[in-house]
Amino acid sequence: MTDKNFYRPYSANSSLAGCSCGAHASQREHDKRAEQARLARGRDSETLSQDFVEAAAVRALFPHDATRRRFLQAVGMGTAMAAIASVLPLQSLQAMAEERGPLEKKNLKIGFIPINCATPLIMADPMGFYREQGLAVSLQKTAGWALVRDQMLNKELDASHFLAPMPLAISMGLGSSAQPMRVATIQNINGQAITLALKHKDNRDPRNWKGFKFAIPFEYSMHNFLLRYYLAEHGLDPDRDVQLRVTPPAEMIANLRAGNIDGFFGPEPFNQRAVYDGIAFLHVLSKDLWNGHPCCSFGASQAFIEENPNTFAALYRAVLNAAVAAGDPQNLPEISKAISTPNYLNQPEIVVRQALTGRYADGLGGVQNVPDRSGFDPMPWYSMATWMLTQMKRWGYVKGEVDFNGLAEQVFLMTDARRHMAELGLAEAGAEPTSGYKAFSVMGRPFDPGQPQAYLDGFAIKRV
Amino acid sequence: MSNETHPQAVPFIKVEGLGKRYRDDQPPVFENINFSIQQGEFICVIGHSGCGKSTILNVLAGLEEATSGGVVMAGKEIAGPSLDRGVVFQSHALLPWLTVEQNIAFAVRSRHPRWSRRQIAEHGARFLEMVGLAAAARKKPSELSGGMKQRVGIARAFAVEPKMLLMDEPFGALDALTRGVIQSELLKICEATRQTVFMITHDVDEAILLADKIMLMSNGPQARVAEIVINTLPRTRTRETMHHDPQFYRIRNHLVDFLVHRSKVIQQSGPAASGGEPLVVRPGLEDDGPPPGPDQPQSSRMRVVA
Amino acid sequence: MNTSIRLKAALLSCVMLLVLLMVWQAATRPGQQAAGAVDDEYALLMGQAAGGASETVNGMPTPTQFATLAWRQISDPFYDNGPNDKGIGIQLAHSLARVGLGYLIAALVAIPLGFVIGMSPLLYKAFDPFIQLLKPISPLAWMPIALYTIKDSTTSAIFVIFICSVWPMLINTAFGVAGVRRDWLNVARTLEVGPLRKAFRVILPAAAPTIITGMRISMGIAWLVIVAAEMLIGGTGIGYFVWNEWNNLSLGNVIFAVLMIGVIGMLLDLLFAALQRKVTYVE
Repeated sequence: MTDKNFYRPYSANSSLAGCSCGAHASQREHDKRAEQARLARGRDSETLSQDFVEAAAVRALFPHDATRRRFLQAVGMGTAMAAIASVLPLQSLQAMAEERGPLEKKNLKIGFIPINCATPLIMADPMGFYREQGLAVSLQKTAGWALVRDQMLNKELDASHFLAPMPLAISMGLGSSAQPMRVATIQNINGQAITLALKHKDNRDPRNWKGFKFAIPFEYSMHNFLLRYYLAEHGLDPDRDVQLRVTPPAEMIANLRAGNIDGFFGPEPFNQRAVYDGIAFLHVLSKDLWNGHPCCSFGASQAFIEENPNTFAALYRAVLNAAVAAGDPQNLPEISKAISTPNYLNQPEIVVRQALTGRYADGLGGVQNVPDRSGFDPMPWYSMATWMLTQMKRWGYVKGEVDFNGLAEQVFLMTDARRHMAELGLAEAGAEPTSGYKAFSVMGRPFDPGQPQAYLDGFAIKRV
Repeated sequence: MSNETHPQAVPFIKVEGLGKRYRDDQPPVFENINFSIQQGEFICVIGHSGCGKSTILNVLAGLEEATSGGVVMAGKEIAGPSLDRGVVFQSHALLPWLTVEQNIAFAVRSRHPRWSRRQIAEHGARFLEMVGLAAAARKKPSELSGGMKQRVGIARAFAVEPKMLLMDEPFGALDALTRGVIQSELLKICEATRQTVFMITHDVDEAILLADKIMLMSNGPQARVAEIVINTLPRTRTRETMHHDPQFYRIRNHLVDFLVHRSKVIQQSGPAASGGEPLVVRPGLEDDGPPPGPDQPQSSRMRVVA
Repeated sequence: MNTSIRLKAALLSCVMLLVLLMVWQAATRPGQQAAGAVDDEYALLMGQAAGGASETVNGMPTPTQFATLAWRQISDPFYDNGPNDKGIGIQLAHSLARVGLGYLIAALVAIPLGFVIGMSPLLYKAFDPFIQLLKPISPLAWMPIALYTIKDSTTSAIFVIFICSVWPMLINTAFGVAGVRRDWLNVARTLEVGPLRKAFRVILPAAAPTIITGMRISMGIAWLVIVAAEMLIGGTGIGYFVWNEWNNLSLGNVIFAVLMIGVIGMLLDLLFAALQRKVTYVE
């Protein structure tokens, strides 16, 4: 029995005189060989993961390293290994950690729409978070949300950036054939805005917006739901008093310039881009409607998750790591630089940076400083899904009875997210409430996720 | 003379009871056509448009099928086209994307698929020379005059060395001068090769110059071969000299007379009796009076019109 | 005479180009920004040199800016910075490959089928209603159907190219073959030419000008359609390039791409024009 283990939990001391195995001329030679073997073992991710479990177990047994060394010196390594194996179910511990084991699929195609919302997903590539998990990810810039949906349904993409409500809609078969889609993490929170044409800079009261034309990126989007909510709170019926047009972001700006629309509820960097192009101003940030609202999500189909559990777990870790990195304001300038390149967002870096850091020109001549303009909290709270479902029902996208919370728990993989966060040692893993039904309020109106129907009934303007 | 003085050997081509009807509710274009052609004979067919001469030629070529009757060539019924029956089309029908020599080579290769490229070229060149077009070998048909094109057509037909040559008004579209030149050439070649030829023409002089026998067809519908005129002019005739022979005018008058009057009258006299052979006449001979004898099936009707 | 006309025409073309460039320059001349209230940081965030003029008007580049940009693209056409950022040369190659493949399949289907249809009046009549019905459908209308049934966007794009280029080739082949002069076929018949030799040595060359015309029309359509199709499916290709630059609101690059599309389209057309000259004959 030798201590092959990469972490050398059984090594009391490596500086004994002479070669300890007798096969080498000197202890130095012996050590060199042993070190080579150890490192070779360390390069194999499977044994490494087993070793990690074993080492962790031994460490747990001897919290103080000095005790461990003394124990080993006293009984010898072979005895210690046998003794520890008898008290610790090392084999099964290692088996449990097998989900870190072989990746079913290493080359992945992940779709994204070139907007700031996809920041964690995108930056994980240049910053090496995918590589770190042994994944070779090819990020596919996709031409529109409908195409993201179709390519996910067709399995051309393994996983993708979604608008947060899309996996709910796809799972229900709204606007497409039904296929179970899952939300692994929320990509970003806040970070959207209502952008208005400059000609409306003295017309800031939504009550006067009757007849306005707005662009939204997709029907099953937070943009659509929040804009509708915002208008309805100001007494406008979004289906009757204004026109909402589904428009790709670049065309939002072209249409705004041409005067075809009065404003849009768009993703960044396009709100900031409209300001940058000198044609619009930021009327209100989405964070001022609902601070902490989800926007986009990262997900995969149920089928992909079932077929590739280890790959999906690795992907999960990569994206969570990226979300953490994106959450640190100090990283934002670097991230802005990394994601504005033609390969990703293909936008002027200064525009992307303003939207990410929250220090931005508002289009009316002022420089604003709103550090929480954008955020990257990845936790997929069930209550977020519940709220989206209430809005889908409210505006008639879903008819009939909806099992709000049942569906939320089915599509949003909050438990998995927590487990992976815990694995990565992230504090958010235990974020309260553990039920996942975090309460919040949108434009001052509290939302009780336990009473979705009552919440829905409380709206004056709705389609149901 | 041959027809009567030497009792019939088996003719090279025998046409029996040929009829063609395009639509059931209309009378046939022609019916009960009977004639035969001997090897080495040059036959010209004269008749007004619509009498079905081209159809008969096409049936002989195998390009069209008759509604009734059939054609036997060298003891075998004709079914479909064959290399043994070369056709010179009125419109020359050269393949315009090929050069003159390629056009001829295309035909030669059809006859001799195993020949080498050189063999084919040499063989083709010989026939091209025969029609005096060696210099135009590399030209495309579009670069040639109408007469030259037709000569290429003739060279192509001769190059496959068919047992029988069918020519459908080959010189119809040519000016008189060119026509004369080619006629002389054709005469020379046929003289040399003893080629059996079946040719349709509208030109009475052409027929007298070229043909051994001239078949006269009554008007269609229900056309038939009314007479076969034996050309009694000596074979050594040429364009330049033949009109000095008194026979020439007698034959010519007979033909013109037929075309102007009798072709129509015969049509009106009703359909031909089946199995009847056409009347054979020699208007060129002085003593050849009105067609004699009750043994000639059509003589009675002929007399009516004569 | 001939050369002098050509010279004059070339001169006139140059004058027109010059006028166009001047109008362009005049229309995009940077306007003076109302300086004053804005502070330096605001100007910086707005992408303007402090207190100065903005670089462009309405995002439209000036001719000089455009020339620089075009030169940058042309001087490095094959760079590859990952799946979403490749040089114009690579993008064009992707588009050409898609067009080539879809077009090739279309030709392989349309020309033999057109041959058969053209040879048989019965089939000609039987196929006619289908062709008449399917022909006028906009190729892009096939896109959703293709995406839904084929379930692969690249294959769908190739399918769309196929479906849009198949009709002109099919119709022209059938028309050309059906219109081969009777005399030529009769020549082949009297020469006892076998069916294969007849097809390749008589019918094909006879119908070739018509067929090539169909192929030329098809190629024109295919090249138009690929741009639109790639804008829909994304990924690679010149259409994607246009979409990507449009997404970035970089009009200069869009104009550059449009120019490249025009140039390639013209070259393809010239290619077919040359081919057409080669097979055309004078009767």
